Amino acid sequence: MKIPPHHASADVSSEAVFEARGLKKEYDGGQVQALRGVNFRITQGEFVVIIGPSGCGKTTLLQMLGALDVPSAGILHYRGNSMAEMPDPSAYRAREIGIIFQAFHLLPTFTAVENVQMPMFETERPADTRTERAVELLKSVGLGHRLEHFPSKLSGGEKQRVAIARSLANGPAVLLADEPTGNLDSENSKHILELIIRLRREQNMTLVLVTHDLNIARMATRTIQMKDGLIVADLQTPPPEA
Amino acid sequence: MNFFSIVVRGLLRRPVRTGLTLVGISVGIGAVVALVGISRGFEASWATGMKVRGTDIVVSNMGNALAPKPFSSEVRDRIAKLPQVVEACSIYADLTSVEDASMMVVSAREWGGFSWQNLKLISGRMPHDGMEAAVVLGQTAAETLKKKVGDPLQLETKELIVAGIVDGGAMVENGSVILSLALFQNITGNEERINVIDIRAAPGLSEEEMKVLCEKINATAPEARAMVAGEHLGNSQAFRFISAMSWGTSLLAVIVGVLGVMNTMLMTVFERKQEICILLAIGWKPGRVIRMILWESALLGFLGGIVGVIIGTIGVKVLETLPAIHGMLEPDFNLGLMAVAVGLAVVVGVVSGLYPAWRSSRLTPSLAMQG
Repeated sequence: MKIPPHHASADVSSEAVFEARGLKKEYDGGQVQALRGVNFRITQGEFVVIIGPSGCGKTTLLQMLGALDVPSAGILHYRGNSMAEMPDPSAYRAREIGIIFQAFHLLPTFTAVENVQMPMFETERPADTRTERAVELLKSVGLGHRLEHFPSKLSGGEKQRVAIARSLANGPAVLLADEPTGNLDSENSKHILELIIRLRREQNMTLVLVTHDLNIARMATRTIQMKDGLIVADLQTPPPEA
Repeated sequence: MNFFSIVVRGLLRRPVRTGLTLVGISVGIGAVVALVGISRGFEASWATGMKVRGTDIVVSNMGNALAPKPFSSEVRDRIAKLPQVVEACSIYADLTSVEDASMMVVSAREWGGFSWQNLKLISGRMPHDGMEAAVVLGQTAAETLKKKVGDPLQLETKELIVAGIVDGGAMVENGSVILSLALFQNITGNEERINVIDIRAAPGLSEEEMKVLCEKINATAPEARAMVAGEHLGNSQAFRFISAMSWGTSLLAVIVGVLGVMNTMLMTVFERKQEICILLAIGWKPGRVIRMILWESALLGFLGGIVGVIIGTIGVKVLETLPAIHGMLEPDFNLGLMAVAVGLAVVVGVVSGLYPAWRSSRLTPSLAMQG
């Protein structure tokens, strides 16, 4: 089942979704330099994999893109607007992006269908259509039979499917995924990746995926390789679905 | 699912902790309801007692003791001569132990005075005269003392006969041992001493005119103070002390409740730190997280208030059955008090939730990526 995207500007393929210049992030008063001056430009519809060893700064970069944290220095733009001057980062997170976490991060006291509704509370959507949309999304990720199950009763793969459905709740233009298969076995990893790629294609979303799995990098349209807080390679790769 | 169901789910995730916090706040609110209800009821009951006796003005010297200070019975004659004073009745009222009852109102009234007129005989008879060694018991006093008509009653050193059992129309009256003033003065050796004068004023006096009459009485009898009936108890230092103690105890109980709720909500925030960060990461505004925490604590307060009202009401009912105070409590559990108690509990909840809510809003969404 195809879920129509809710973002209005999804068809602007050449537009820079993200643009970073000299992006830095320091912790502990500069003792830890997670990002040491990063430059890149990501356009609408790209499937970008950020790859690199642990501690290279890839998750930090994803946090910056998700407005989960603020840069220490440099410029980061979303659709031409400075993210540092963003008046309401919450609204950006709620409406423009969807985030998929490695550890799923479902709320344990809420069922699958309730978890998917959570981001919709920051929209004008009334309660009944929230439920409708959540059911629709869960069906689209193959979990139509698990709507009322609590996370504790779901397998790892099912949890990640719920998390994916949740990330799509408000029809984001950008999907940010942090090691989405990191906690899954190879079979489930394959299915989850296929699902994410299919949804991204159907909804023409920009996908930025952090991983250290080279096999996943091969499926992307572009691979950014990081090391010690810097981008050391930025390669365009033929999309697997092309 | 709506926002409120998220709030409820937040409380239900730790039912034992929520339950214990509820107990804490309920006990606090129960104490408020019980103590304030008893205090207000006592005041209202005294006012009713005055009303049924037909007393417009009370002349007494309410000092620090529970019973008024005695003064010369000659004061009554001076007051009775004032224009607009229709009747004056001397009384010696005391709070004392009577046989097995540790505290009971003994009301010795001027024989033939109007303060006898409201007493309706349920059984037996009234004393034959002012010097007959007899008492009448209010019906609650008779139950407390386990007396019936004809039984002996030991008052101080004198054995008296229970001549009758009466309905005085008010809790204070029904809980009293009532006898002739002259007899009581004789028994206690307080000849020519009284501590209360009930006054009936001329009919139709306005509230303002009544106050003017009180001023005249005060000028005539500086030994005591005249107050419009019902107001005099509130001017008693002893009563005010008891009232302040009630509120003080209630306040302490409420503070304990505040700390309990705050502790619970802080634990909730710490425990749900990552969950809150996830909510922030998926787009919840910090304001919504704050509202969620405040609603949870307000709901905790509201439920604690409801349970507290029930605990307070039942607690006083249980207290009333204790022999030592049986018949002495007529708590005033009106809807206003209950609404105030529940409102107070909600305020306690919200105030207790402010700091945890603020803490929750300071969490950074990037923490969601950890763990």
